[in-house]
Amino acid sequence: MLGYYFQLAIRNLRRNPGLTALMVGAVALGIAVCVMTLTMYRAMSGNPIWWKNEVLYAVTMDFWDPNEDAHDQKPELPPWQLTYRDALAVMESEIPDRTVVMHKAVGVFSTEDGAVQPERVLTRVTSADFFAAFDVPFQYGGTWSAEADRAPEPVMVISRAMNEKYFGGANSVGREIRWDDREFRIVGVRDHWQPMPTFYDVNNGSLQESEEVYLPFGWNAVAEIYSAGNTNGWKPEEINTYQDFLNSESIWIQAWVELPDAATRDRFQAFLDNYARSQKEGGRHQRPINNRLTPVDQWLVDNDVVGNDDRVLVGLAFAFLAVCLLNTVGLLLAKFLNNAAITGVRRALGASRRQVFLQHLVEVGVISGIGALLGLVLGALMLMGLRALYTLDPTDTGGTQAIAHVDVTSIVTALGLALLATIAAGLYPAWRIGRIPPAIYLKAQ
Amino acid sequence: MTAWNMRPIASALWRNRTGALLVALQIAIGLAVLVNAVYVVKQRVDKINRPHGMDVENIFVIASTGFSRDFDYDASWRDDLAYLRDLPGVTAATIVSHIPLSGSGSSNGFTSQPSKSGDDAVPANNFDVDEQAIEALGVELAAGRNFAQHEILPPTDGYEFAPQLIITREFAKALFPEDGNALGKTIYDGLNRPSTVIGIIETMHGSWVGWDKLGQVMLIPRIRSGPAAIYMVRTEPGRQAELMRTAEEHLATSNPDRLLRWVRPMEYFVRQSYLDDRNMAIFLTSVTSALLAITALGIFGLATFNVSTRIRQIGTRRAVGARRLDIVRHFLVENWMITTAGIVAGCGFALAIGYWISVKYELPRLDLYYLVGGVLGIWLIGLAAALQPARRASAISPAVATRTV
Repeated sequence: MLGYYFQLAIRNLRRNPGLTALMVGAVALGIAVCVMTLTMYRAMSGNPIWWKNEVLYAVTMDFWDPNEDAHDQKPELPPWQLTYRDALAVMESEIPDRTVVMHKAVGVFSTEDGAVQPERVLTRVTSADFFAAFDVPFQYGGTWSAEADRAPEPVMVISRAMNEKYFGGANSVGREIRWDDREFRIVGVRDHWQPMPTFYDVNNGSLQESEEVYLPFGWNAVAEIYSAGNTNGWKPEEINTYQDFLNSESIWIQAWVELPDAATRDRFQAFLDNYARSQKEGGRHQRPINNRLTPVDQWLVDNDVVGNDDRVLVGLAFAFLAVCLLNTVGLLLAKFLNNAAITGVRRALGASRRQVFLQHLVEVGVISGIGALLGLVLGALMLMGLRALYTLDPTDTGGTQAIAHVDVTSIVTALGLALLATIAAGLYPAWRIGRIPPAIYLKAQ
Repeated sequence: MTAWNMRPIASALWRNRTGALLVALQIAIGLAVLVNAVYVVKQRVDKINRPHGMDVENIFVIASTGFSRDFDYDASWRDDLAYLRDLPGVTAATIVSHIPLSGSGSSNGFTSQPSKSGDDAVPANNFDVDEQAIEALGVELAAGRNFAQHEILPPTDGYEFAPQLIITREFAKALFPEDGNALGKTIYDGLNRPSTVIGIIETMHGSWVGWDKLGQVMLIPRIRSGPAAIYMVRTEPGRQAELMRTAEEHLATSNPDRLLRWVRPMEYFVRQSYLDDRNMAIFLTSVTSALLAITALGIFGLATFNVSTRIRQIGTRRAVGARRLDIVRHFLVENWMITTAGIVAGCGFALAIGYWISVKYELPRLDLYYLVGGVLGIWLIGLAAALQPARRASAISPAVATRTV
């Protein structure tokens, strides 16, 4: 029976090709815009490490200007980064399972023999726990030891892409590369890893390319490495040497901790508060104690990673889908009523209301199916267009290029949602047509 | 149109209200989206087109980093600047700490009086530059003088404040609210070190396009500290692309101890900074147009359907004396009623969304003339979409009335 309904549907659709094209087009456009907007929205504001939301926390402490809040809009929040000395205090604590203190840096890769053109590499100077805390996969080797952070030892982790470039993808653990003017031994090769948004450091935007090189945290003090991200200060201080900078109230370090349960969390919170109290007694700062442990979900909200523009776009996408659906309902209704005479004959010949309803629902399904396919193609085209809008320099691999990664999950979600909505939209016309008393149309004949 | 034949049109419409209701709803959403999209797009376009005071089209930027042990920063920037300034077609070249309008920069607070607490500090985007900056940026010096070559401080690791400064008129007004006159006056940095304002720039934008203090800019006569250098080079009109290539070829190989990070037009950074605004404007415009197009198709579809189900009635009306014009009028009025019902609901939606947007973006409330414009626009779109079906209806022959289908 369904096969027959399917045939009927195709025949009906071919009877008024203009109307059919209009309906399929409306469905396709609605689905395409939804797929595009939701893909973009997810890329910009999803939580890419949701499975650790209960254990992973960003650490912030308030040592900011007593006269002025760090955030104009959200005065209750501490500043978004830590000073160097507070980061050291966090690092010293044994309470967390894992502790990440880190900052972004830039270095130049070169080789002794000059065989490869020197090249600027995005670097993360971090404690060893970075990889385990953020579930970063390794292709070869692994991270360095906690001692390597303190000493510091000349070891590094490089990205898979760098490994392919310099060592042809072979296991390069044990080999050496020069970073700026020092030789570092490779201990690990990071596999593909591109969280979106880059939740662990949103200071320079939330769509950043993952770093190519990772160095032990102790190297900043030894090699006098400044942050290539943001450094903010509030206090007029005489800073003449790197040591002055390390001792200053400038904030430039990001800190994260992994705390397995609520009890450990409370203990660590108490540790932070005690530390802040002792600093306060030392006369350092006079702000109320405000130390926070923020899970990733909340961190993204606090840092406005989910922006107003994104909310407007999602609102717009749903308004668009709504109009497309209203349109489809209206057109379906018109189309079905147009064929009411035929339906009347079928009813008179013994088709039940249920059968008529089912027959028209199959027709709706066919329209939605074709519309969805078209919409998917159209959505892919729109995403390509969007990528073009966001790419200023095709050779530039950083930042918003990350949007280029097409996210299958969000496409499937958006598509399923839109398809479901379209079929739901077809329910009313299909039901309505089944309610038509056959006699009226038979009389007119 | 006289009132007495509105009634039958309205009652005919009421008998087939589902389709009409659906179209009215589409129109309501369409109007709400249209009005607010136009409003947001207008804000973005205005933001992008603010005067920034610089000759952006004719400037390119070079970034260089020394990396080897033998790298001599002082010799390197002197050589590079000498080479760039000698290039035929180059108007001026300067070494800067940051690129204006690039989203990367430095800002500090300054006061017009020595201050203990620093509470009253006025923030400025500050740039380290040399004596060719005014010329190389193409900004207009409205009063005072430029830096002299001997006033440029050498690079230091520490923090120093120069004895002379050039600031923008907007910053001068913020520092001296009474008369806005800062020329020749002394201002103080966060450590209360004094400096004299020797020149006033008419207009210049700083680093962050989203900051409301974007126009408060200070130029400090100081060479940025190494080993990374940024040069900004201004060329004669139209020669930027050509000279950019020449300079890149030379500098890429002129010094083996440094890496030429990139050479880019300044426009690149400006576009990058306004990318989100520009894309939002493009996105809103295209989606809103598509939405209106679909709404128009919906109106067209409904009108066509209404005509095709009433062929016999129309024929009958024609047979009993209605003119073709009466038939066209019937359908246009019917359509106008649907559109207007949608518009009434849409005005409510539009104002509600407009309120939400003004709160979220901290923008002034939606101006009512946007709404008036939107209403007129939707009326026109509705009329245009119904015109063809209405004319088709009027072409129906009176003879149809006498036929069975």
